[in-house]
Formats: sequence, C-alpha cells, structure tokens
Amino acid sequence: MTQTTVAVTCGDPAGVGLDLIAPAWRALRDEMVFALIGDPSHLPPDVPVGIITDISQAACVMPHAVPVLLLDIPGPRCPGNPQAAQAPSILRSIEIGAKLAQSGKASALCTLPIHKQALAKGADFRHPGHTEFLAYLAGVDDVVMMLASPILRVIPITIHIPLSEVPKALTSALLKRRIRITHTALIQQFGITAPRLAVAGLNPHAGEGGRMGREEIDVISPVLDDLRTEGINLSGPLSADTLFHSAARAGYDAAICMYHDQALVPIKTLDFDRGVNITLGLPYLRTSPDHGTAFDIAGTDRGNPTSLIAALRLAGGLE
Amino acid sequence: MKPKIGIIPGDPSGIGPELIAKLLADDAVDAMADILLIGDAHIFEAGATIAGTTIAMTPVDARAEDWVSKPLCALHAMQTVDPDDIRPAEVTKEGGISALRTLDAAMALTQDGVIDGFLFAPFNKASLHLGGLGHDDELHYMAEKLGVTTYISELNTLDGMWTSRVTSHIPLRDVAGVISEKRVHEAVYLIDTVLRRSGLARPRISVAALNPHAGDNGNFGSEEIDILIPAVQKLAETQMAVDGPWPSDTVFLKAVAKEIDAVVTMYHDQGQIALKLLGFDRGVTVQGGLPIPVATPAHGTAFDIAGKGVADVGATRAAFDILCDMVTNWEKGAAA
Repeated sequence: MTQTTVAVTCGDPAGVGLDLIAPAWRALRDEMVFALIGDPSHLPPDVPVGIITDISQAACVMPHAVPVLLLDIPGPRCPGNPQAAQAPSILRSIEIGAKLAQSGKASALCTLPIHKQALAKGADFRHPGHTEFLAYLAGVDDVVMMLASPILRVIPITIHIPLSEVPKALTSALLKRRIRITHTALIQQFGITAPRLAVAGLNPHAGEGGRMGREEIDVISPVLDDLRTEGINLSGPLSADTLFHSAARAGYDAAICMYHDQALVPIKTLDFDRGVNITLGLPYLRTSPDHGTAFDIAGTDRGNPTSLIAALRLAGGLE
Repeated sequence: MKPKIGIIPGDPSGIGPELIAKLLADDAVDAMADILLIGDAHIFEAGATIAGTTIAMTPVDARAEDWVSKPLCALHAMQTVDPDDIRPAEVTKEGGISALRTLDAAMALTQDGVIDGFLFAPFNKASLHLGGLGHDDELHYMAEKLGVTTYISELNTLDGMWTSRVTSHIPLRDVAGVISEKRVHEAVYLIDTVLRRSGLARPRISVAALNPHAGDNGNFGSEEIDILIPAVQKLAETQMAVDGPWPSDTVFLKAVAKEIDAVVTMYHDQGQIALKLLGFDRGVTVQGGLPIPVATPAHGTAFDIAGKGVADVGATRAAFDILCDMVTNWEKGAAA
C-alpha cells in the first residue's frame, strides 16, 4: 500500500500558521497523513509531536502525534515578531517541501503563510511571492492561481493589479498560456478526464456583441477558438453575472475569470470558509490556506483553522 | 388605505403574462393592494392559460370611474397588439411596441394619481429597440418621459440586500475613469433615499472598493486612496450610516449576515455576480431616481421557457411586495 503524505512547510513562525497545525492535526489525524517541515519547539506544548527523519515515517506517527520532519530553526518562536535570523530556515523549509513533492516522496505540498518583507530583510528574498519562488524552484515559466471550494473552482487570469490595468494586461498570450496550464493540471492533478472550462467575458453582458467593450471579440473569442482546435472543452466568453448560480455551476469544472474580483466575489460569497488557494502548473499539487501571516493574532487561539484544514484535505485528495 | 398598484404584462412573447397570472392567483396579493391591470385583455388571458389559472377582469375607465370598488380585477383595457402578431419566444417589433405602449400608459396613470406606482413584467431589450426605443434602456426612457434630469440608476435587491452601482453598462476599461466623488455621492444618496422610501429609517450602506483587496494601501490601484476613502468620509460626516471602501470579495457577506442593508458597487458585474449567485430566481430591480415607484423582477423574458408554464413567480412576487412597501413609505421616506 502506498502511503500518501502531504508535506507542510512551516511558513513564518511569527505568523498564525503554526497556531493552526494542532487543530488541523486533531481534525485530520484519522483521515490523512501530513508532515510539518519545521522546528518541533515552535509548536505549542499541549500537542504531541513525533519527530521523524524521513517523510515515509509520517504515516506511523500521524494517528498519535503531529509528524515533524526536523528542521533546526535558530531561536524560539516569536509570534507577531518576525526574526531575521529565521528567514533562511523558512526558505529552507520551502525548498525541502518542494523537493519532496517533486520527487514524489510527498504526494503534495501545502504551504503555511510567509511574510515577503521579513524574508527580503532576513534572507535577501527577491521573488515577488511564495508562488513565484516555487515556480523558480521547479524551473517552470508560469503558474496559475486557482481558488477552489467543494462547490466552485475559479481561476483569475490577472490577479493583483489595479482594475484599470486589467484590459491591457489581458493579452492573448497570457490567456492562452494560463488556460492551457489549467486544462493540463485539472487532468493530471485533479483526475478530470476532459475538463469543461467556462470562460467569463471581461465586460458587462460579455460585451453584448461589442456594444460594451471589444475585448471579447478582439482577444477572448479568438483565443478560445484556437484552443478548441487543440481539443480543450471551452464555453464562452460568457456573461459573468450569470456564470455562478447553482444551475450554471453544474455545467463546468472550472471558471476562467478575467480579473481578481470576478473570481473572488463568487467563491468567497458562496463559500467563504472553505476556499483553498491552489497553484497549477507546478510538477506537483500545491495548496495553501487563503489567508496571510496575520501577525496581529499570531500566538493566540483566535486563528481560524478552517482554511488550512480545507487546504490539507484538498492536498490529501479528500475533496 | 391600500396601495393602488398598476401592473403591465411586459413583452407578450416572454414569460411576463404567465407571471402576472401566477401573481394574481395568490389571494394574499389581492389583500395587499388594489390592482389595476393595464394592457390588452387577450395578453392577460393568454398568460392565465399558460399558467393554468383563470383571470376574471372588469374593464374600467380608470380615469373616470372609481375602479377600486369594482368587482373582480380591474382592467384598463388597451389594444396594443393583434393576438395574431404575438410570436411566443421571439424578438419582435410588435412585442416591443406593445410593451412600450403599456409602459407609457402606466406612467401617465401614475402621474395622474390613478395608481400609486406600477410593476412591469420583463421587457425584451431587443424587441424594445425594434419597437422604437431610442434610449439605452427602459430606465432612461422613463426618466425622459417623466422629466427627470437628476441622477438615475437601476437598484437591485434580493432578500433585503440592496445594491446600486456607480457605473453600469460601459466597457470595463472605462470604469476607473468614470469613478468620481460626485458619482459615488450620487449613488449613495440614491440608494439611501430609495431604502428610506421602502420603509428603512436609517439604511446601513457599505461602499465597495474598485481594486482587489481595496487597493492594498495603493499597491493595486490608487482610486481607494484618491477618491473612495475621502468620498465615504464626507458622507459619514453627514451622519449617514455609510462605510467603506470594502474589498468586494467580502463585502457581500456583510449583507448576507444582515450587518448592512446595501452595497454601493463600482461596476456592473461586481454587484450582479453576487446577487445572481445568491438568488438567481428572486432578484428585483427598482428604477431608482424616478419620481414614482416602479419595480420589476430582475430576470428577463426567458424565451427558453416561454409558453411552458414553468416560470417561477418568486421574483415577480418579491417585486410586488417591495412596490407595496415603497408606495406606503414613499412620502415619509422623501421627507426624512
């Protein structure tokens, strides 16, 4: 029997991530196996910890204790207060996790939140974010962000840019590349044989034949036509406002959205707690909880483990 | 005194007449208001046939007679279309002309005080344009007919959650350039007025941000810092219950949780995505900024199911309920 263990990076120990490991372990110990790559002394004293030296040992430990793949991190955990000296270890945890996932020793990777500025200060971290660092480690040019809950998957093609810059950023090349990545990943990592992708328009009523914007005619439709000749099952460009009610959702496996809030409004409004952030285009499945380091509540019991549990469940193949 | 509500059947080729028949089949509706049907008797009768009900109407001269005291359902009879010219589930010039003529009659009857406000069943925009509509939509048409020169906007509502929008049917690339403090103020004042006119003493209004994460302190756009934050601050200083700008991916959850009554959105899909996924069949549109109460179900003529008798009356009923609230509270809300 092959054991499937999800590798979990420690993220910034100053952040809320480590607070959520114990509740996540209690919720999932009988359902799946994960291993935290970090320092056991950073976990609270009231949770049992089993130190392992190889990720294959995690399965035996999981029912009784949190499996921790030992990584020495200098200094104690200082909630809310990132330590420059710990920055290299935070990156090391990510490198180890990525390597385990890429080699197949881990079945997937789940990452706890990092804080870019703290890493830039302590370890000269120059990547725009977590995801870009993982792409760099894997040697891939582009990755796609997907948000998934048990009832909806959405992919924003453009992400953290001003709304006014979306039309310019939305090029044929970008759209084509990201739809291809999505299609491939849904087959390879989600086991969907022939993914059905619904593509939203950019403008109200998908432009209504050019009366309210031309991007559907000039950019989106030609890309979809090209991709259909490659055998990708695409519908659209569709009016975004009628794409997300329950009857519409039944018609596709994932919705391709043109900008951040076109994707995030529906998934958060429908299913706020269970949204998981997934990176597509890596050689392995990577998930992360849909929140940041939340330094203001780190070290308290106010952190909500729901999103981490959902991210672990998805990485563990339970959703 | 019961509200005097006019009802027009919308486009005769769509599900409108069927919805009106289903609405009137509920005795509670009759108890809430005095209803004046405005339009062709054969259209209402055809709707009843599709709905599997009957409709008993008394033709009246609504301007000359005391129509409220008539037995059965009062009908302000018109001849807007020949029955043979109605083609179900099709965009037609005749359907558009019929819809526009009943709309004109309903506006005139409201202005003359014969009715207090009216509900219209769905129009088909393409048919309206074929039928002679030169404006972008029915709201702009009504505004001109009623002599409105001030700010108007469609307001959408679902289960007590309202939205208005600062921009509407324009390309997304033009949205940021149109957002201004003035327009935000107009949108907030409009929804505040309409909500007070529908019976809320002090509507709680949240303004949505334009950019992802509300601009993330300027990292993903500056409109929040330059326009929206100052705009909201000035409104809050007038003692309105308004706050924001909030990231749009979570602001609707505040409305779902009933922490607020309304969200002022920046562009069409921002609010429409949330409302339609929460209740595709129950949304209502109120024509904001008009001097008279007008409401309609938010959905369209639904040609795919027209004539089948399966149309859901939920949104039409919700529109009727809101219209009754608006008529009852109209003067009070305007004076506040």
